Amino acid sequence: MSPILEISHATRRFAGLIAVNDVSFTLDEGEILGVIGPNGAGKTTLISLISGTLAPSSGDVIFAGQPITGLPAFRRARLGIGRTFQIMRPFPGLSVLDNVAVGALFGHGGGEGDLNRARERARGYLDFVGLGKSVDQRADELGGPGRKRLELAKALAMQPKLLLCDEVMAGLNHVEIDEVIDVLRKVRQQGISILVIEHVIKAIKSLSDRLLVLHHGEKIADGAPDAVLSDKTVVEAYLGKRRA
Amino acid sequence: MTALRIVIALVVIAALAAVPRFGSDVLVQFGINALLLAVLAQGWNIIGGYAGYASFGNSVFYGLGSYGVAIAMVQWELPFAAGLVFGVALAVVFAFLLGLPVLRLKGHYFAIATLALAQVMIAIVSNIELAGQNIGLVLPPLNNDPLFYELALGLLVLTTLTIFWLTRSRFGFGLIAIRENEEGAAVMGVNTTLYKVLAFALSGIFSALAGGIHAYWITFLDPESAFDISLNVKMIIMAVFGGPGTILGPVVGAFTLSAVSEVLSSEVTSVAGLFFGIVVVAAVVLMPRGLADVVRRFRKSGWRYFIENIRANRI
Repeated sequence: MSPILEISHATRRFAGLIAVNDVSFTLDEGEILGVIGPNGAGKTTLISLISGTLAPSSGDVIFAGQPITGLPAFRRARLGIGRTFQIMRPFPGLSVLDNVAVGALFGHGGGEGDLNRARERARGYLDFVGLGKSVDQRADELGGPGRKRLELAKALAMQPKLLLCDEVMAGLNHVEIDEVIDVLRKVRQQGISILVIEHVIKAIKSLSDRLLVLHHGEKIADGAPDAVLSDKTVVEAYLGKRRA
Repeated sequence: MTALRIVIALVVIAALAAVPRFGSDVLVQFGINALLLAVLAQGWNIIGGYAGYASFGNSVFYGLGSYGVAIAMVQWELPFAAGLVFGVALAVVFAFLLGLPVLRLKGHYFAIATLALAQVMIAIVSNIELAGQNIGLVLPPLNNDPLFYELALGLLVLTTLTIFWLTRSRFGFGLIAIRENEEGAAVMGVNTTLYKVLAFALSGIFSALAGGIHAYWITFLDPESAFDISLNVKMIIMAVFGGPGTILGPVVGAFTLSAVSEVLSSEVTSVAGLFFGIVVVAAVVLMPRGLADVVRRFRKSGWRYFIENIRANRI
């Protein structure tokens, strides 16, 4: 399979701090890649470099064979990159339905021109993530778990080729996590490649085809989930040297 | 329901259009002012209410529209309509030239930058010979108030229809998304820079047309009055009083506050400004989201609505 996403030597500095340091990896079409790492490892920065909310200090981002390093976020969205935010970014004053309709109106390929059809599509995605009953609520009336689902529905309504999920399971209970995993598996079956950041190791292990570990902005492991999780440097990064 | 609304709207427009036939001269003059202010409030609504950028630069569009008409009619002896077109062209050019850098700023910074624009325009226009420098221009008088009234009403209808279209269009949804969360809008594929500039220009077109009509009606303009920043404050107060980001809120706000201000200045004359201030402060405290929100929520919460607002703002 050809890679849909290729990151080559990406670095991002914030003044003195190097949040992402010379990271390279590829993501194959139809693959689910899990990204884990301790707090502050640079996971969210990495997603921002791919979605275009941040520009890399150096290095390249190649999407579907096309370099997109210099493109603004909205152009990347139109090429087919959808993301969710860890710190949720709903449109608080809009209804849940219209939040998702924005994704359908814009999104991959420029989106739907007609508002009614966009709303219809939005309804479908809300049913898909299990928010079908909350369509008429205002987005800021949703609780935490609801907002996570809303983030996912908004990104899916863009009909992306690549979905970037930034901790969509954080703060959810076991039942809810299983539901989200189920949703993401179905998303992959539709041919969408996924990059997931997650802290819930058990969840990401069962979901991912491959795991990538970041620590202090550097890639310290990349491979099959079982192998990565038993890797000595990874265990050290999470638990400290003595325990390992 | 929609059919009923259309009928109501048509009846209201017809009633307003009939005012010059039956009303007194004073009422017609009040009407022209109120209608033009409503257009300005509605124009501000596009950039401030829908896109969420509190512009203090809209009085610049108004001034450019005024000068467009004045320069075309006085200096080039062109008809009024050509002046309007010229004024609109000036406003659009201004919106693109200054919108691009200024709309990169957010929140207070955007407001301050646009606030400075009106001052700068006074200084510039005061030194342009074509614009009559700081003395100003005197337009050929046209003593026909009913005509100006109907023109202003027509412009208000056009502006309001544009906003109605906005709420149902992809473009309008993009603007609302920008207002609600700009970064969130960008990652969903909204070309935020382009949309903001277009909204700025659209709001400029209507403000310029209002300025052009006003200039021909008043027949005199100078830089100080054309780029008057207090006019910009007025349109914001009116839009916010009625309900920013709603189709009819700014119109209702403009009519209500124009009437309140008119009554006050005839009843209590010298302290009218003070009372007007009290009305505005009370409105901000009791209904910070405007009349439109009161109408929406009052049925559910009743009088508690106002108390909830006071609590929510920790006053």
